[in-house]
Amino acid sequence: MRNGGDNRGRLLLISLIVTSLFLITLDLRGVQVLGGIRSGTQTLLSPVQSVASKVFRPVGNFFSDITHLGRTRGEIAKLQAANEKLRQNLINRKNADSELAQLKSVLDLAGTAKYKVVGAKVISLGSTSSFTQTISIDAGTNNGVRQNMTVITGLGLVGVVKISYPDSALVQLTTDPAFRVGARVAGTQQIGILSGQGTNKGVLQLLDNRTTLKVGDVILARGSQNNRPFVPGVPIGEVSKVDNAAGAITQTADVKLYVNFSALSVVAVVIGAPQADPRDALVPKAPVPTPIPTVTIYAKPSESPTP
Amino acid sequence: MFARRFLVSFPIFLVVYVIQETIVSQFRIFGSGFSLFLIFALLWSALGTPELGALTGFGAGLLMDLSQSSSGPVGQWTLIMILAGFSISYLGYGDDNFRGNPISLVVIVALAVPITRFIYLILGLMFGGELGSALHIFTSLIASGLWTVAIVPLLMPLVTRIHSGLFEDMSRG
Repeated sequence: MRNGGDNRGRLLLISLIVTSLFLITLDLRGVQVLGGIRSGTQTLLSPVQSVASKVFRPVGNFFSDITHLGRTRGEIAKLQAANEKLRQNLINRKNADSELAQLKSVLDLAGTAKYKVVGAKVISLGSTSSFTQTISIDAGTNNGVRQNMTVITGLGLVGVVKISYPDSALVQLTTDPAFRVGARVAGTQQIGILSGQGTNKGVLQLLDNRTTLKVGDVILARGSQNNRPFVPGVPIGEVSKVDNAAGAITQTADVKLYVNFSALSVVAVVIGAPQADPRDALVPKAPVPTPIPTVTIYAKPSESPTP
Repeated sequence: MFARRFLVSFPIFLVVYVIQETIVSQFRIFGSGFSLFLIFALLWSALGTPELGALTGFGAGLLMDLSQSSSGPVGQWTLIMILAGFSISYLGYGDDNFRGNPISLVVIVALAVPITRFIYLILGLMFGGELGSALHIFTSLIASGLWTVAIVPLLMPLVTRIHSGLFEDMSRG
């Protein structure tokens, strides 16, 4: 130590390091006490998080809008025209409407596939200090939410419940680098494994080297044994780029995920799966172009006046 | 004396921790945002002695490990924060020119935040964690440094005032 180096300081440092290594060892060996403390902390914090979510989410959405300024320039120009009070009302109203629309769409999706779901609000957007991609929701074991249950929105797969507490649950997002899901290409029997990459794109690796992918193919969850952690048929995304490397054993592709993970506010946890696999029933319908009405005018020359 | 100082600092850290977990975690901003608690803990450590830095790191790391969004085993953040707290306070210890210069503090904390997160990532890999895309990690680390440059000047007057008020009063008393 430069000036204050003494044995007591060294002893303290070594004791603290040994304590932390001891904690790591206990946790890796699965000692329940540490998990219990973490769970207790979350139980204490989740009501405060719920309140903070209600108060600060409009502010968070405001910051999110700033990030996407380029895309929402038209909207911003309209908003600038409104006065401050109306703008605040509009933000609050937009927040509620967006949640309602998300809830409606997730119920539509769940209804089509006959999933039994529990709706939940997102109360926290995960850690900002680590590299994991998670969210916290306000439904937990008291609402029937258990570990390894599928989480969806109206657009598709959000992730999987990693830990469930009495009144909240931690959801690992599809974008998390550690996330893996068995996937199937809609309309075919091609199967593969989709892994998160930390961005809104996943990487799909096919398992069979005789099959091929093409841009625009829709990717669905293949489903797990006993429907945990994944129920079958949930849309994940669509192929945006196919990697045709000559040396690759099987084909890989980038998959653009359907869900917008930066604007999640309402999700649903699938607590009961249908008896029959919905197959391709949840594949999003391609947009139908609006027909442009055409008007045909027949011009008839008027009869020339007789002299 | 150390234990007494540690106990006195604890409620302050608890308040910042609750703010981090309930309010700051609501915002998803550029480059995964910032960790107010991490910045606060490192800034607090930078103002103390190496022993106090290590002890501060221990307490802060333990709280970070208790966060539900912490992906690693309990103790991973504790270990890293002990080393980070000790190192950052060791760098400026005994050098009043360094401690008295706000720019030095901003620079050292802005460097310490991404380095600490990078070490967490590496240690996480050793415990079987996943990396994800290199671009995402790079963006996130750079952004956390930039956010720290923006946040530290706002926090510094308050933190230095509380720190000096707390510890100078205690050493007098």
